[in-house]
Amino acid sequence: MLGGGNDTEEQKGTEEQQSETEMKDEGTETTEEEKLETAEKTEPEAKAEEPVKDKSAKEEKKEIKEKAKAKTEPEKKTKKSEKKPEVEEKPKTKRSDSMTLLEGREEDTLTRDSIDENFKQEIMDAGAETLALCFQCGTCTGACPSGRRTPYRIRQIVRKSVMGFKEEVISDDTLWMCTTCYECQERCPRGIKIVDIVKIARNYAAKAGYMAPAHKAVGSFVLKTGHGVPINDATMALRKKVGLDELPPTTHSFPGALDEVQKIIKATGFDDLIGYNWEKGELE
Amino acid sequence: MAEQEFAYFLGCIMNNRYPGIEKSTRILFDKLDVGLKDMEGASCCPAPGVFGSFDRTTWASIAARNITIAEEQGNDIMTECNGCFGSLFETNHMLHENEEMKAKINEILAEAGREFKGEINVRHFAEILYNDVGMDKLAEAVTKPLNLNVAVHYGCHFLKPSAEIEIDDPMKPTILDELVEITGAKSVPYKDKMMCCGAGGGLRSRDLDVTADYTKEKLTNMREAGVDAIINVCPFCHLQFDVGQVEVNDKFGTDFNIPVFHLAQLYGLAMGLSKDDITVDAHQINTDPALSKLDIITGGE
Repeated sequence: MLGGGNDTEEQKGTEEQQSETEMKDEGTETTEEEKLETAEKTEPEAKAEEPVKDKSAKEEKKEIKEKAKAKTEPEKKTKKSEKKPEVEEKPKTKRSDSMTLLEGREEDTLTRDSIDENFKQEIMDAGAETLALCFQCGTCTGACPSGRRTPYRIRQIVRKSVMGFKEEVISDDTLWMCTTCYECQERCPRGIKIVDIVKIARNYAAKAGYMAPAHKAVGSFVLKTGHGVPINDATMALRKKVGLDELPPTTHSFPGALDEVQKIIKATGFDDLIGYNWEKGELE
Repeated sequence: MAEQEFAYFLGCIMNNRYPGIEKSTRILFDKLDVGLKDMEGASCCPAPGVFGSFDRTTWASIAARNITIAEEQGNDIMTECNGCFGSLFETNHMLHENEEMKAKINEILAEAGREFKGEINVRHFAEILYNDVGMDKLAEAVTKPLNLNVAVHYGCHFLKPSAEIEIDDPMKPTILDELVEITGAKSVPYKDKMMCCGAGGGLRSRDLDVTADYTKEKLTNMREAGVDAIINVCPFCHLQFDVGQVEVNDKFGTDFNIPVFHLAQLYGLAMGLSKDDITVDAHQINTDPALSKLDIITGGE
């Protein structure tokens, strides 16, 4: 018996919710009178749905219904009265004054002038001929651990490379967020050598001067000692302690070998690229 | 003389920061009766993150020069660093496939009086142990079984790009787990096991915050699996988990302290070498919690 009563209450509740959402949806077009009408219309339908119940139950329901009505009706009114000013507070004319989303659009928009016609072919010729196969599925970005924590989006870099937006690609700091972990390349359904694309793009970035000082420093260490991570006193002591030669049998022990490395670096122009001054023995 | 001999490529971080890895390797290969010949005058591989990113021609030239030292010996190269493996393997592969590039690089190498011929292979320490030495012979070298639960970290350039390297499945490999478990240690599965440590590609020197964020994720997943130690096959990953673990704790206020061992050091322990021999006493992260567990199980030495 109680269960029946609860049913009606619930039904009524949902009806009211429905009529309320209807009001919201219709917005300012429907008048308040019309809304009341629709709310009332739904009530007899609800009654019709519950004909086979005993008298006492019906009486109880009526009582509950009346109570519920008494409770909800004033609420309805307050809600409506609250709603009114809300709508009035949105004057449409003010919005057109400042279209902030469009400000500065000219500078950010990529146009035909931003395209370097040769960029795509240059990357392909440098060893990533698979670049042209990309159909932008985004599997690469989905697989990318740097994409999960930085704004680096490898799919965008590939797309921009295909489109020839060279300056966009090489000036973007996020190009250097790739750890070359190959997760993108392993999953690429087109077999594109994505990490090669990143490295080739970085080569162009370096050529254009986009190099981090810390990276140039590593380059200068190799240039000076033959090692990106040269020996230090602590490790020399440690090597001696375990019975290894203090200096490993590398360029550290063979000056002639270091000379060879330096000749290679001069031949490729890597010294000029990172701005190494041989006389001063340091980066400029 | 040993039946088999490899040109031993040292690189930078192992010999210049973690000499215990080199020491363990020399002792292990002596015991396995596999020869290691020093590549006198070898240099940095060179660092793929910086050299590969800045100028691929310089990168390939310096790598090719290193390869010519092994060619003079007539030995395949063995390296136990994923980064070195990447630089040397990729260069070797590229110069094999691309005659034009080979000619270009040889023109540069001529300045240093060298020529790349393409006569040898570049191989990784772990793959040599698995395929050439074999599990049976390795099992014989283990005199002190290790009762440790470990997180195996493959790193990136050991197996990838898999189309060229073809050592094992890059998504679900087993090679390292098998190599670790032959010591008695148990390789514990953990979330995102194949994820990068965060150091590679020049990211560590470019943006330490991002690198540390990677490492924190790995450490969190390893700790959740309840491991005693991290096992790696790359001194750069090794440095990132050792030094980087301290950096993560500083940056994020965490209290990670998972001991880190290179696979060679793990074999060192399994051969009964002391912590001094394998220089884990010089690690940033104290390895004693893992080592003391060994002593309890074996009754102490």
